[in-house]
Amino acid sequence: MSDGPITSIGEKHLVRPGATFREITDSISVVTETSAPRGWWIAFLTAATFLGILGAAVGWLFWKGVGVWGNNSPVGWAWDITNFVWWVGIGHAGTLISAVLFLFRQKWRTSINRFAEAMTIFAVICALLFPGIHVGRVWHAYYMFPLPNSMSLWPNFKSPLLWDIFAVGTYFTVSLLFWYVGLIPDLATLRDRCTTAAQGVRRYVYGLFALGWRGSNRHWSNYERAYMILAALSTPLVLSVHSVVSFDFATSVEPGWHTTIFPPYFVAGAVFSGFAMVMSLILVARVVYKLNDLVTMTHIELMNKIMLATGSLVGYAYAMEFFIAWYSGNPYERYVFVNRALGPYSWAYWTMISCNVISPQFFWFKRFRTNIPFSFVLSIFINIGMWFERFVIIVTSLHRDFVPASWGYFHPTAVDIATFMGSLGLFFTLFLLFIRWVPMIAIAELKGVLPQADPHHGEHHGKHDKHDKRDAPTEGGEPAPAATEGA
Amino acid sequence: MSRRQPYEFAAPAPDAPIYWMDRPELDQQLQGTEPAEITDETATYSAEFPGGVAEFTDPVSRRGFLSLMGASIALGTLAGCRRPVDNILPYTRMPEGMNIGTATWYASVYERRGDALGLLVESHEGRPTKVEGNPGHAGSLGSTDLLTQASVLDLYDPDRSKNPTEGGQERSYTQFDEAYRALLEAQVATRGAGLRFLVRPSISPTFHRLKALLAQRLPEARVHTWSAGTTANTHLGSRLAFGMALNALPRYERARVIVSLDADFLQTEPGAVRSTRRYAEGRRVGEGRDPSRLYVVEPHLSLTGANADHRLRLPASAVEAYLRALASRRVAHHTLELGPVAEAVRNAAPPAGVSERWINVVAEELSRHRGNGVLVAGSRQPVGVHALVHALNAALGNHAAIDYFPAADQDLGDEAQDLRDLCRALEGGQVQALVILGGNPVYDAPADLQVAARIRQARVSVHLSMHRDETGAVCTWHAPACHYLEAWGDAQALDGTVSVQQPLIAPLFYSRSELELLAVAAGASTNRGHDLVRETASRSEPQGPAFERRWLRALNTGVLAPSLGPAPAPSLRAGDIAAHLRRPVPAAVTDSNLEVTFALDAKMYDGRHAANAWMLELPDPLTRISWDNCAYVSEATAHRLGVDNGDQLRLSKGERMLTAPVWIMPGQADNSVALFLGWGRATAGRVGTGRGFDVGPLRASDALWFTDGVRVEREGSRYRFSQTQENHRMEGRPVAIEATLAEYREHPNLAERLSPTPRTLPLWRQAAYPGNKWGMAIDLNACTGCGTCVVACQAENNIPVVGKEYVARGREMHWLRVDRYFVSPRPRGTDADPEATSDPRVAFQPLACVHCENAPCENVCPVAATVHSTEGINEMAYNRCIGTRYCANNCPYKVRRFNYLNYHNDGVYQPGHADTPETVRMQMNPNVTVRFRGVMEKCTYCIQRIQTHKIAAKREGRVHAVEGFAHDGQPGVAVELRDGELKTACQQACPADAVVFGDLNDHDSRVARVSREDRRYKLLGEVGTQPRTTYLARIRNPNPEMLG
Repeated sequence: MSDGPITSIGEKHLVRPGATFREITDSISVVTETSAPRGWWIAFLTAATFLGILGAAVGWLFWKGVGVWGNNSPVGWAWDITNFVWWVGIGHAGTLISAVLFLFRQKWRTSINRFAEAMTIFAVICALLFPGIHVGRVWHAYYMFPLPNSMSLWPNFKSPLLWDIFAVGTYFTVSLLFWYVGLIPDLATLRDRCTTAAQGVRRYVYGLFALGWRGSNRHWSNYERAYMILAALSTPLVLSVHSVVSFDFATSVEPGWHTTIFPPYFVAGAVFSGFAMVMSLILVARVVYKLNDLVTMTHIELMNKIMLATGSLVGYAYAMEFFIAWYSGNPYERYVFVNRALGPYSWAYWTMISCNVISPQFFWFKRFRTNIPFSFVLSIFINIGMWFERFVIIVTSLHRDFVPASWGYFHPTAVDIATFMGSLGLFFTLFLLFIRWVPMIAIAELKGVLPQADPHHGEHHGKHDKHDKRDAPTEGGEPAPAATEGA
Repeated sequence: MSRRQPYEFAAPAPDAPIYWMDRPELDQQLQGTEPAEITDETATYSAEFPGGVAEFTDPVSRRGFLSLMGASIALGTLAGCRRPVDNILPYTRMPEGMNIGTATWYASVYERRGDALGLLVESHEGRPTKVEGNPGHAGSLGSTDLLTQASVLDLYDPDRSKNPTEGGQERSYTQFDEAYRALLEAQVATRGAGLRFLVRPSISPTFHRLKALLAQRLPEARVHTWSAGTTANTHLGSRLAFGMALNALPRYERARVIVSLDADFLQTEPGAVRSTRRYAEGRRVGEGRDPSRLYVVEPHLSLTGANADHRLRLPASAVEAYLRALASRRVAHHTLELGPVAEAVRNAAPPAGVSERWINVVAEELSRHRGNGVLVAGSRQPVGVHALVHALNAALGNHAAIDYFPAADQDLGDEAQDLRDLCRALEGGQVQALVILGGNPVYDAPADLQVAARIRQARVSVHLSMHRDETGAVCTWHAPACHYLEAWGDAQALDGTVSVQQPLIAPLFYSRSELELLAVAAGASTNRGHDLVRETASRSEPQGPAFERRWLRALNTGVLAPSLGPAPAPSLRAGDIAAHLRRPVPAAVTDSNLEVTFALDAKMYDGRHAANAWMLELPDPLTRISWDNCAYVSEATAHRLGVDNGDQLRLSKGERMLTAPVWIMPGQADNSVALFLGWGRATAGRVGTGRGFDVGPLRASDALWFTDGVRVEREGSRYRFSQTQENHRMEGRPVAIEATLAEYREHPNLAERLSPTPRTLPLWRQAAYPGNKWGMAIDLNACTGCGTCVVACQAENNIPVVGKEYVARGREMHWLRVDRYFVSPRPRGTDADPEATSDPRVAFQPLACVHCENAPCENVCPVAATVHSTEGINEMAYNRCIGTRYCANNCPYKVRRFNYLNYHNDGVYQPGHADTPETVRMQMNPNVTVRFRGVMEKCTYCIQRIQTHKIAAKREGRVHAVEGFAHDGQPGVAVELRDGELKTACQQACPADAVVFGDLNDHDSRVARVSREDRRYKLLGEVGTQPRTTYLARIRNPNPEMLG
């Protein structure tokens, strides 16, 4: 077996040397085919319990009103919108990994992209929950959609909240399509692995979602094109969604919100938190499902580098906010930032700084970057830090704004906490179901980065230099591995 | 467009169906038409309708019948899930003058601590909903105070007693009447020897007439008078000084210098509404006249002290020493004609710690403004202080600035002594029957008299009150009393104006008025309130057409007899005063001899409003604490006692003891603890019971208002307050802008310069407001911070009460709030200076939605629920609002209020999911939507009032067409309102006339004129919101000699 240069960064193997197509198919598919390990059940029941708590909290919220949360005047938004922005941010890594890295031909993404995309979709579902339930009259929430009505009344297109609906909605739709299109060959593989009569239902369901995939050259060619188009569509969305989310704040007049730095700062933060969440999840999955061969140290290290970069960007933004607050000479703006660092919410601010700015700095050192337990702990810190970032932006800006007599303080209630924990329950329930029933790593794509996928390598190197070898699976008329594997 | 063509019925087709009503008609029609060939039933109809219009003629099939029945049953079942149907029934006989949907107004009068406030009460379909001042009445001058605004809610209190009770058992009013009459009959034989009445001081002429009748019928019966807020010292002081009880009404508008000695004349003293109006008038600047200057000497920060130019904090017991020192200094330096009084005060030393400046400068100031100065003493100061104040005012020739009117009740003596006499009689077993008309002595009488135990010693006791309260519980009989809007009465104001208290509604429950019960005892010819009051009115004039006209005019205008004018300058009895002043001044208060003072509460008064949810929820004007009272201590004293805000304090003197939570109050005198009456009621209904703490246990009949030698120590536990404002500093921001007179003269437009509007050019064409352009201006110089506007707004706009717990969570719903800041008194001082907590200057700022022309709330609403009207009002469409709260977040003024819960149904009256009590709903203004949960709300500029007046103006043809409306360029109309015709609720209630509202496009309107004043500024102008409500900066008038 050749140690061919199929890696795109450095000289590392993206998959354990010597792995065969069958090994890969087996190791990934078997998770969905055998009964779930005890650990999955424990995790699933825990997550489902929290999902139940979410249901109870939201039910109580609907029954009584938003007053069951701690929101008040002046803090009209608190954990609700904090959670929304946090979840949208987490939802960023998926599309970034899938689309942007795909367009940049970063082949190392193949081991983690399915995972990250699923995470994106579930995170966006969690995110969309909050704008829906945070309104005072949920039964009229549909007023936000531009539905034709007899009063010719449209939503207010000047409102950033409306832009949010469109931005996040679009993002969700495109991400879902992108994920699903990528899944089709793998679903076909699972379908084709159902050979016994007892697997009829399974075969039928996978077959239904595989949309009749047969792995023909024509299929592959359409698939590649569709995937490319969706990747191109998603790429601007990565930037736009969180930019638009940041407009909720940036277009307001509130000191601490009214800041031009918000769009890039939010995007960087989103990527930061998204990667941290992918890291947290994949490190667990890697241990539980023994995916060390597929998710290698190279991946972990590269992701840690991205976190270092985005974490530092976020840190820069924090510093720049302070600088501009001072430089602008606006006393309200100055006060808000001094108050963030030294006021009643300074604990939240310094939690954020420690988690988001200080902790990623360890990743300058290879020793920490390649230490798996350390990476895991740090990714959790970053998740916490990014939640606090949104909390700090939203609550500390609102709680003390222009007129000192209207200042207040926000205390969360048990329902606030239950709603947040419940949204984690929703996320993990969906995620565990995904791990159980869908190939969590892109089988077909992963095969494409194996040396075998590029049989002409070495012999015709010179002749094929213009051709993009990395689109290996379809090259040279070789039968696409995914669909034929189990047949 | 072509003109519409007249419509003609088409000629009936020969075979058209014929509609008919009865057989003869059909026959007639058939005869008139061609003998149509009637082939089947469908053709036997009249030809009245044109072809194509036909009745549903299909025969009902079995299938159709069943499906129809099925649908009916299904719908019928559905209907069963709906709310029960309420029927609106028309009047079978319409009351005269009533127009459904249009409010009617009736004149009435309300008694407030010895003064009468003339009122106009708004009534919707027979329900009184709102009270306003009667502009024709000298006591109110068209405005009201806090308690008057709130009084309408007392009428609808769901916990009012509804039936008489005997020993706790429900009885009918007939049974009560019989028992009451029997009780009186039993006394006739002994000429009333065993009969005692306990009443509150009354200003009702009818009451005094009946009292005289009673004295004739039962000469041995005694009528005792007691009220917790007694003004006996004021009465006795004037009686000592002049030989008769006189009401001194300073003309604050004329006075150049005002020295208040513990007199909170802007809020709790008698006649506060009138005083506030006059004081605010005297503080106006810019008309070639300087504002008056106010010096206040007082123990705790009162509303008057908060408005002072210079304020000296002294223990209440040291005020007399200060006044004597002031008098002595003036005698020494200015040779005042004080006669024998001068001897009495000669060489009086000022209290320890008072700077010489406070004696010399004030004395100098009073001398400089002889004839234009006012010294005024608080009703809780001892008689000597009042007498000395009268002497000084007389010596300074200040009678030109003070009007004296004979008091309505010349017999009023020392109420504490009166009550002590009653208790002694009860203890001695001399009382067979005790009748308590109004009042709640078991709660509010001094603790040492043990009134509850004494009342039980009467053989039979009767209690008439709106609530079966603490007193009702110990009396044999309790009878429900009428609210003042349910009963006839009359009242004589401090200046002698007599008004008729006209009821607006029949009693909601079985109840009687105090006059009616007294009339039974007095054996009056009638015991109907109306007749009693009429009889009093006709005393001076025989019944007849002339009287009838006068009576009707009185009901219409609210004034039965105007004031006879001030009495001529009374002669002073200097000898008596001097004799009284030989008494030594009280011992000085020190670290080891702490003083406790009692004050009437601005919201609870003496406890009679304890069940009023509006009053409970309204934050105290100075502490901003709602739903509680607290014990004020100064920072130094708190430090010495080792306590902080919310720590429980144990106060004890001898046997008497109480526990009260501490509030470190800026401006509080050291070594003095201020306590407020009226709280901690044990039985005040579901809303008021147990709110705050009762200070009564420490109050003794020989020291009603302040007492020293009190042991004060930390108790150990803590108490949680709910505040609507948690930050008390202005943080150096130009929010409630103020300047000294000197600064203002130098830079008249300094407010605008501190809060400038950005000069950047707009990016798009600005909206034009060619029609009416509503705007408001609030004069911070006039505003005293009393909070009346907040309650008026609450009453007008159906604003719910959320309760203490939700106030703590920042959920209060008041559309209008009065922000209060403590600022350092030093020139250019910051609010972080130590003086800001010891001797603060206080700034007030009423703040509601300012109706920005560039409203930040409007463009962030995703559903366009808050939009701008063509007249510049920032409107809320409640039906469209989904409650994202984005608008509130983006409001720089934080004036939007969100219904986090369904406070109307799930509020303080009914915990859980029950509806607001029926009676409380009766108070609702039908012209204002009651908001459901999840909806944002805020000030609307009382848009319902605007609409009412616009409709009236349009009906009278007071409109003109205008062009250039921005939204469609179409011509519209502007209504022409007479200035002052349209008033918002806050404006109408404001006793200081600080709020001006009107049409900014009307160049001559008052709001337009005020908006051109140089003191005007836009709050947060630099944000670029272009608020429609603007402010006029406050001008202080400190004496440079005091700053020295």
